[in-house]
Amino acid sequence: MTPVLELVDLHRRFGATIALDGLSFAVPSGQVVGFLGPNGAGKTTTMRAVFGLVDLEAGEVRWDGRPIGARERRRFGYMPEERGLYRGMRVGDQLDYLGRLHGLDAPGARAASTRWLERLGIADRVASKVEDLSHGNQQRVQLAAALVHDPELIVLDEPMAGLDPAGIDAIGEVLTEEARRGKGVLFSSHQLDLVEDLCESVSIIDHGRLVAGGLVDELAHQGSRRLVVRVEGDRDGAWARSVPGVTISESDGGASRLVLDATTDSDAVLRAAMAAGRVTQFSFERRRLSEVFREALT
Amino acid sequence: MIAALLANAHALPVGVKVLIALVIAGVVVPLRIARYRRRRARRTGAGAPATAPAERPRTTRRSVLERVVSRDVALVASREVRERLRGRLFKVGTLVVLAVVAGAILIPRFTSGKATPPRVGVVGGLSAEVRAAVVSASRSAGTAASLVSEPSEAAARAALERGGVDLAVIDARLVLVKTALTTSDASTAAAVARGVATYLGDANALASAHLTPQQAAALRGAMAVPITGLHPSKRHRTLADATTLMGIILIFIVLQQYNNWIIFGVMEEKGSRVVEVLLSTVRPLRLLTGKVLGIGLVALLQAAIILAFALALAGAVGSTILHGAQPLHLLGIFVWLILGYAFYCWVYAAAGSMIERQDQVQAASFPLAVPLTVGYISAIIALSGTSVSLYSQILAYLPPTAPFMMPALVGLGAVTWWQFLASALLCIAATVLLARGAGVVYRRSILRTGTRVRIREVLARSA
Repeated sequence: MTPVLELVDLHRRFGATIALDGLSFAVPSGQVVGFLGPNGAGKTTTMRAVFGLVDLEAGEVRWDGRPIGARERRRFGYMPEERGLYRGMRVGDQLDYLGRLHGLDAPGARAASTRWLERLGIADRVASKVEDLSHGNQQRVQLAAALVHDPELIVLDEPMAGLDPAGIDAIGEVLTEEARRGKGVLFSSHQLDLVEDLCESVSIIDHGRLVAGGLVDELAHQGSRRLVVRVEGDRDGAWARSVPGVTISESDGGASRLVLDATTDSDAVLRAAMAAGRVTQFSFERRRLSEVFREALT
Repeated sequence: MIAALLANAHALPVGVKVLIALVIAGVVVPLRIARYRRRRARRTGAGAPATAPAERPRTTRRSVLERVVSRDVALVASREVRERLRGRLFKVGTLVVLAVVAGAILIPRFTSGKATPPRVGVVGGLSAEVRAAVVSASRSAGTAASLVSEPSEAAARAALERGGVDLAVIDARLVLVKTALTTSDASTAAAVARGVATYLGDANALASAHLTPQQAAALRGAMAVPITGLHPSKRHRTLADATTLMGIILIFIVLQQYNNWIIFGVMEEKGSRVVEVLLSTVRPLRLLTGKVLGIGLVALLQAAIILAFALALAGAVGSTILHGAQPLHLLGIFVWLILGYAFYCWVYAAAGSMIERQDQVQAASFPLAVPLTVGYISAIIALSGTSVSLYSQILAYLPPTAPFMMPALVGLGAVTWWQFLASALLCIAATVLLARGAGVVYRRSILRTGTRVRIREVLARSA
C-alpha cells in the first residue's frame, strides 16, 4: 500500500485568531492534491504543521499511519510561500547543501543538483548567485531545492505565484510527473483553473476547517445541474431571470451559465429560451472548480 | 607552542597544567558526549519507528566536524565556514587587521632603527679623556658613537650644520650641538651629548682638585648605593602587561566582530525566509548550533592567522613587542577568547532571530554590547592600576565580564589557578543555560515575521 499523508483534527490558534479548527484531510501518494481556501483560511499554517514549524494545540500529522518525526520530514520536500534561498550563495552550492541536509552524501547531492538544474533548463546558471537570477529562474531553483533529495512527499505553498505561462507549464509538468512516479504532491494556489487542470483531487478549507474535498471529477459532477444556453440577440440571459428554479451563474459573450434547482425541469428552461429567441447552444456542463470553491464557501 | 609545552610539562607551573587540562577537557568531553549520544540514538532509533527506512545514506567519507558533532550541525557549520571564508568581509577584514598588526610591530622597529650611532666631532686632539667621555656616554645611551677629528671649531660648526656630525667636543671644554637641547629631547645624540658634557665637567673638576690619578680613578669608580623596591619594578611588569592588554583588545575585537556576524547572519536567514526551508529538515537548536560553531571556527581561524602573522613578523624583524609573553598569559587569553565567544554567541543569535531588517540591528544589539563593553573597559582600567579592587574581583566571576577581567587579573598575577578554574566553570555553566534559553527564543521567534518580536512576548508565549 502506498503511504498517505494524513492530517487528523488539527487545532491551532494565534491569540484570538483560530487558524486551524479541527482540520482533517489526506494526501495519497501518486496524486497531485490541490489545497484551496481564501486568504487566512489556514493553508500556510497547515503546511507548516506538516514540517513541524507550527506547534499544534491538538491533532496529529501522520505519514504511512505513524506520527511524523524528524526522520520522515527529511524525506519530504517543501517550498514555502515566501521563497527562501541564500541570495549571495551560488545556485549549485545551495542545492548541494540542501540536498545534504536532507541526507544525501556529497556526490549524490551534486549529481541530483545537476540533474534538476538540467531538467528545469537552468543548468548554465549553476555558478550564478541566486540574487543574479530572474524571478522565474529563482522560482525554478526554489522548486529544485524542494525536489533535490527525491522526496516521497512534496508540499508547495503557492508554487506558481508570479510566474509567466511558460514557468507555470514547466512547474506543472514537473509536479504531474512526480505524482506519476508515485510521490504525493500537495500544493496550494489561488489559480483555480490551474488547479483544475493539474490536480486529481482537492481539499478546500475555510476558517481552519475542511469545507469540501475529494476527486475533482466527482466534485464536478456533484451538486446542482448546470446548463449553458446561448440565445441569439440576448447578451446577459435576461430571459432566464423569470424562469423559476434557475439561477444565472455567469454570462459571457452571449452564453449564460445557469444553475438548476433539483426540481426544475430542463425542458421548461429550453422552452423559455426558445420563447426568448433562436437557441444556438443548449448543453449540460460539469461544475467548474471555481464554482465548487464558491459554493463551498457560502 | 603546544609541542614545547608538552616537552617541558614537568617544569610547568600548576596553573599552566590546569589550563592545559581545561582546554583538553573542553575538547574531549563534548566529543565523548556526542559519541555517546550517537550510539544511544542508533540503539533507540531516536524515537523513530523501527521499520522506518533509514534516510541517512551510506556516506563514503565523513568530515572532521561530522565526527565531533551531529551531521546536521557539521553541515550547517561547514557552510558557514565556506561561505564566510569566500566572502569579501573576511578577506578585507583580516587584511586590515594584519596591516594594523604589521604597523604596530614595524613602526617602532623602523623608528628605533633610525637611531644610528651618533658621530662626534673632536676639536683639539683626541685625548684619552675625550675618548673615555664619549665611550662612557655612548654606553650609557645604549649606542656606540664614532669619533671624527675636526681641524677647527669653525670646521666642526660647519660639519654640524651639514649633518656630518651630531655633536662636537671643542678642546674638552665645550660640547656643541646643532639645535639647543631641551629637557624633553630624548634622542640618542642628546643623551650622548649630555653624557659627554657631564663626564668632561667631572674630569675638569677632578683635574682642578689636584687629585692623584688613583684618587681620581677611585672617585670615577664611585657607584650609587643600591635602591631596593618593596614590589617588583614597573619595567618588569610592563612586558606581561603589554601581552595581556593586547590579548584583551583581541578578545574584544573578535567578540565584537563575530557577534555582529551572528546577529546579521541569523537576521538574514530570517529576512530572506531561507530559514523556513532549513527548519523543514533541521531542528532549530541544531541549526543555531551549527551557525555559531561555524562562525566561531572562522573567528578562531582569524585569531590564529593574526597571532601567527604577528609572531612571524616580530621574529623576522627582531621586534621585542611580544617578548615577555608568558605561556600562562597566552593560554589564559586563548581560553577566555573561546569562553567569551561561547557565552555571547547565543544571546546575539537569539537577538538576531527577533529581527529581520538591518535597521533593527542597532536596537537589538545595544543591550548586549553594554556588559561586553563594561567588562572590556573595566579590565583595561584594572590593568593600569596598582592594586586589584573588589569591583574587579567581582567582575572576574560574572560570566558576561569574566572574559575580559579574568585575563586582566592573570596578567596582574592577582589570581590563583583555582580562582581561574572557578570562574571558567561558572562561565561554562552560564553558557549552557544561556544556550538553552537562546534555543527557546530562537525557535519561537525565527518564523514570526512582519514585526520585530519582543522578548516579553516570546517568553510569555506558551510553546
